[in-house]
Amino acid sequence: METRTPLLRMERIDKSFPGVHALDHVDFDLYEGEVHILLGENGAGKSTLMKILSGSLPADSGRIIIQGEEIRHHSPERASKLGIGMVYQEFSLVPSLTVAENIFLGDPPRNRAGIVRWGELYRRARESLATLGVDIDPRARVGNLSVAEQQLTEIARILAKQPRILLLDEPTSALSDTEVDRLFEIIRRLQSRGVGIIYISHRLDEVSRIGTRVTVMRDGRVIGTLPVEQADIDTLIKMMVGRRLSEQYPKTLSVQAGQPLLRVENLCAEPFLRNLSFEVRTGEIVGIFGLMGAGQAELAQALFGLLPVTAGQIYLNGQPVKIRRPTEAIQHGIGLLLRDRKASLVPMQALPANITLANISQLSFMGPLNLRSEERIATRYVQELTIRPPILKRPVKFLSGGNQQKVCLARWLASGARVLIVDEPTRGIDVGAKAEVFALLDQLAAQQGVGIIMISSEMPELLAMADRILVMRQGKFSASYQRGEATQELLLRSAS
Amino acid sequence: MSQKLVQDQDLGVQVVGEPRFRRFRGSARDLLIQSGPLIALFLLAAYLASATPYFMTESNLVNVARRTSVLVIFAIGQTFVILTGGIDLSVGATAALAASISAVTMTQQVNVLGIKFGPVGFVEGLAIALVVGLGAGLLNGLLVTRGRIPDFIATLGTLEVFRGAALLVTGGLPVPSYYSKAEKARNYLPKEVVSIGSGDWLGIPIAAVIALSVTLLGWVILRYTAFGRSIFAVGGNREAARVSGIKIDRTKIGVYVVSALLAALAGFVLTGRLNSANALMAGEENLNSIASVVIGGTNLFGGEGGVFGSIIGALTIGVIGNGLNLLNVSDFYQRIIQGTIIVVVVIFDQWRRRRFGV
Repeated sequence: METRTPLLRMERIDKSFPGVHALDHVDFDLYEGEVHILLGENGAGKSTLMKILSGSLPADSGRIIIQGEEIRHHSPERASKLGIGMVYQEFSLVPSLTVAENIFLGDPPRNRAGIVRWGELYRRARESLATLGVDIDPRARVGNLSVAEQQLTEIARILAKQPRILLLDEPTSALSDTEVDRLFEIIRRLQSRGVGIIYISHRLDEVSRIGTRVTVMRDGRVIGTLPVEQADIDTLIKMMVGRRLSEQYPKTLSVQAGQPLLRVENLCAEPFLRNLSFEVRTGEIVGIFGLMGAGQAELAQALFGLLPVTAGQIYLNGQPVKIRRPTEAIQHGIGLLLRDRKASLVPMQALPANITLANISQLSFMGPLNLRSEERIATRYVQELTIRPPILKRPVKFLSGGNQQKVCLARWLASGARVLIVDEPTRGIDVGAKAEVFALLDQLAAQQGVGIIMISSEMPELLAMADRILVMRQGKFSASYQRGEATQELLLRSAS
Repeated sequence: MSQKLVQDQDLGVQVVGEPRFRRFRGSARDLLIQSGPLIALFLLAAYLASATPYFMTESNLVNVARRTSVLVIFAIGQTFVILTGGIDLSVGATAALAASISAVTMTQQVNVLGIKFGPVGFVEGLAIALVVGLGAGLLNGLLVTRGRIPDFIATLGTLEVFRGAALLVTGGLPVPSYYSKAEKARNYLPKEVVSIGSGDWLGIPIAAVIALSVTLLGWVILRYTAFGRSIFAVGGNREAARVSGIKIDRTKIGVYVVSALLAALAGFVLTGRLNSANALMAGEENLNSIASVVIGGTNLFGGEGGVFGSIIGALTIGVIGNGLNLLNVSDFYQRIIQGTIIVVVVIFDQWRRRRFGV
């Protein structure tokens, strides 16, 4: 391998943002026909490195060499000409256009007069979707597609440009198992054609399934590059987080669930939820599992006043309550950690303002703020949740995903939530941060008696953390398991 | 709790991700980056001071302060709206309507639904102007929230409505007017009105004192009240504000009320300066107030910025106009130059944001 010229060589790439050394003299290379997996916690510098490769960020120093030729004055257009294609985690699709229009966005097939040949456009779009082995109507509007279909459309769009170097940023995060299998098949086919693939992932099990080599990054540095045969999961975790993960799921088992905290009777929110009854006790973690769209997200919204309840009753501490608005939910001591962090944070505001945001809603409109106490609250949670970097005045948009998630959690701790609903609490955060989030949830339940409703599609998480698991199907509960009763098969069978 | 979370690092491996107390490199550098608009204003003033001997004279500076004060009052209100990600195109028309109605009631007897009153004095006149502003602001706010109309369209509509109403009230004539057919009429405004527009207090124009007070009040509201924090939250991320229980509609209505109240106040001060009100006054204040806010570094998409930037923005516009007059530049060229400078300042500001990530 070492005798061949690499397809791509990045040498001593260095990049600093104000206050953060994002990349510290990083070396990276990629050979033809290779799947080079890039692993690392959030904030390790993977995305920054890829943005530099795709020309959307300039490096402070270092060289990029593609097939022996150094690239100067890099830009996204240049990258595209050089055959670098990138599938981003956040899609770059135009929702109001059709699938086919998106696939050939900016460069549709045209006749000599420059008029778009629509027949050709749809035919070629259908072909490229067929090569992907997916059944998506090229005339469908992208905005109407599911997340998985959008992901596949995005991949088809990049592949239509026939890249020599393909960057995939967590491409499987939205895909089902069969779709993942199909994607891996495509990757292998591209591999055999000599395309070099850089694959960014959080999922350690994917490393051995698809990778050729794996590079682990941490804190803006490359920790090491290994052939896949030498990269077992323990080694990788150790390289990624720099410490042993003795406890990925720290769960205190001795806790006795106490008084009923939240009781829900025959809750309906047509057409999403039908006749849901359950209760959450103090110190209990109730897991909710379901396939995509079974109503879990809607349940969270209904309990938090974001979705109108059409029938049924909610009791808190035995008292019937009406929750029509988030303000009322917060007042009653309910907190909701949203699935989408971007929807929970005010990006340009600093830590204190974000952490105390839910408290603001409980003040009277022209009520005065106590900035000093806000700072005290923020300092406390920054220390307790080890939010990094601990700079209070820094806007939260500069924090990594895991730290942003901690800020969201801190908000509900600060608001004094007694019932905490967490919707996919570890979505898109790295192994280390996941363990911290779990530890925090466990501690809230075990030591502070908070009742937690944990909505998740990650079965191992639920099996390890929940005291009880409720399974949802088509807006109803289809099964309930005590801790230890459930297995992944049982959950899946009840959910489908 | 912190104990527990850090505990499991009983490692044979190097600890990473330890809290790093890194700071931005020096606060002097920060200050330099953040005060870009102020530096631009200083450079502009320095140039004018060297180019014409009249610029730095006391009478000219007082004149600039007096003329800019009205724009500052407009710009503070506009800042509130723009911070929520909205825009108020009706400020000029609101000012004209409020000033017209109040000037009419201060100069002649009016008949509202059979109740005859007036001509009223200064205090009643100011109150009437503010009530008109309050109504205009509520209307804008309700259209944007309950009517679910984009801010731009709603205020474009009310802009025309308010101008039309002002023309109706004044009959298209300047107020006070010698042609008034009212029973009891006087052809002068209360002297207090004139003095807040063109009078001085300890050598400082009263209008400037008002503008500064308004700015300070605006700063206090934005920084120290729940309303102010809600404004930044709604403008920074509407969805996050919603799921955190922030009252979005009330915040939006609030900023339009603030904007219209200040527009009415500005119209009243302007009436005093011109010693007259008319339906077409404050015609350029819409765009100038928006330009002031943007030059001052407030993000046009909301969530970032503040009132002090807007003062600097308004002063920049005022100084440019004054400087070009002193340099005897023709009005046609003045417009071209003003427009160009506004665009250049904003280009510089955008570049600064990208480059330094402020």
